[in-house]
Amino acid sequence: MKRNVAIIGGGQTYHAARRHDVNQVEMTNEAIRRALDDAQMRIDEIDAVLVSNMEFFEGTHMTDCWMADGSGAYGKPGIKITTGGTVGATTVCVGAHYVASGLFDNVLCVAFEKQEEGDTGAILSSVAHPLWGRSLAGAAVGYFAMMGSSYMAAWGAKEEHSAMVAVKARQNARKNKYAHLKLDITIEDALNSRMLAWPIRMLDMCPASNGACAMILADEKTAKDRCKKPVWIRAMETAHNEQFELDWRDVKTKRPIFSKVCASRIYKKLGVSDPAKYFDVFEVYEPATWAELVWYEDLGLCKPGEGFKLIEKGMTNIDGPIPVNPSGGVLSTNCIGASAMLRVWEAALQIRGDAGGHQVPKDVNRALTTAYGGTNWAVMTALSKTLD
Amino acid sequence: MTKKEKELISIPITVNVPYRFAAGKYMTKFLMELKNNGKILAIKCPKCGRVQLPPRVVCAQCHVKNDEWVELSHEGTLVAFTIMYLPLTDPTTGKPHKPPFVYGSVRLDGATSVLDHLVNIEPTMDKVWVGMRCKVVLRPQKDRIGDLSDIRCLEPLPGQKKPRG
Ligand SMILES: [Zn+2]
Repeated sequence: MKRNVAIIGGGQTYHAARRHDVNQVEMTNEAIRRALDDAQMRIDEIDAVLVSNMEFFEGTHMTDCWMADGSGAYGKPGIKITTGGTVGATTVCVGAHYVASGLFDNVLCVAFEKQEEGDTGAILSSVAHPLWGRSLAGAAVGYFAMMGSSYMAAWGAKEEHSAMVAVKARQNARKNKYAHLKLDITIEDALNSRMLAWPIRMLDMCPASNGACAMILADEKTAKDRCKKPVWIRAMETAHNEQFELDWRDVKTKRPIFSKVCASRIYKKLGVSDPAKYFDVFEVYEPATWAELVWYEDLGLCKPGEGFKLIEKGMTNIDGPIPVNPSGGVLSTNCIGASAMLRVWEAALQIRGDAGGHQVPKDVNRALTTAYGGTNWAVMTALSKTLD
Repeated sequence: MTKKEKELISIPITVNVPYRFAAGKYMTKFLMELKNNGKILAIKCPKCGRVQLPPRVVCAQCHVKNDEWVELSHEGTLVAFTIMYLPLTDPTTGKPHKPPFVYGSVRLDGATSVLDHLVNIEPTMDKVWVGMRCKVVLRPQKDRIGDLSDIRCLEPLPGQKKPRG
């Protein structure tokens, strides 16, 4: 990067299924105030504001204009960004570009979703081509169900393995005061939960959450001058799938799918040969349990076909050698527009040692986060404690 | 908290927006061949040779014009599937698909791409598996309207048993 960029502050809301006590702007403002407090900054000191959410989820267009008062964007440069589920991470990426370019010394990045105000299934169906596949495009659950069926057939994993992911996520969420689904569940509970789309059961899926996240990025000088624990953004990467090519659900595909391409590019940038050793913690985007197992493999944390063995052996537990989603992940909190930013912010908290109840019990120097966009592109962000 | 919530206003809104979607030359040809002649046409890239479905003008990988039309077999292999237990609304009709039902991704013989569709089969795990051979069932010609619903469903080829294990 042209200039080094650090995360110098951040904040999130308490995430919940119902937030009738606030409107969209008021809810988002809660995260923004926490981020400013965390960075010990006033809104007047912010150079630019970027706002992001899912297109039309709340039935409002031009969200950035709606938010100009509550986001603090009034009178400042900035844009609105919508890149589907990845948008929170894309917004951090754009913010980092703003700062790295030298045009801005700091940027406030804002991401939110108030899912209860819209009909997620109905809106997501418009992601599909009107003449190709829209009739079956009712919900994300079907896509992940096909991913799960392909995974089981290819590698011999069982429903118990997805149940282990379901339990890990919700038990980790219980340690995270901001998480939405803090469920004290067992593998039996997961296996006995209602079948939605084979092999996906109720507890294999993320909730619909309301919530927001905000982060403040700054250049090296600002970060060193005024932040005790800056977290450095070391690399960012975005990779797309080809339109209409649904290979990502076929886990044995040899084609260069988004997740694997994105990982190989970011590893090349950083010179990573063994990601499981290089990174100390991972925050991955897993709207469904099977997606987490596929991420293990696509990220190269194990060989293809061995992802389910990682969870079986407890390798990715909060106290395991390769902790994945100590926050409880998307499976526990999915305010979609903010979910990808939460991955980055949670990873930053781990590096700062400020994750509280869900802090992983080891030194965290480097972290990697991922995001899905419409399941057709991926965004990854690599963070570190130091600049070496 | 609950009482307080009731004092706050929240109103239902429905947004009905009409659109008109242009299919383009290649999709139109694909749909008209399906409607008029019961053919499933894909497009082959002159550079990488991938047989792409639905047909599109440019190969995204090679950045060259796709111009060789290829007729696909009506038979193929299931690469992924699910048994859906939710009454998913069909966004094209506004009506729910009646659960439980099976749908999956099939790779028609000769194609590089896959096609998602309903599978007409009893929705139990004994009857459906990855690797199952399927055929495309079309609507009778007089009922075809020139969209993907002219393919009514996929159906398993007879004489197959789910492999053990
Ligand atoms: Zn090509």
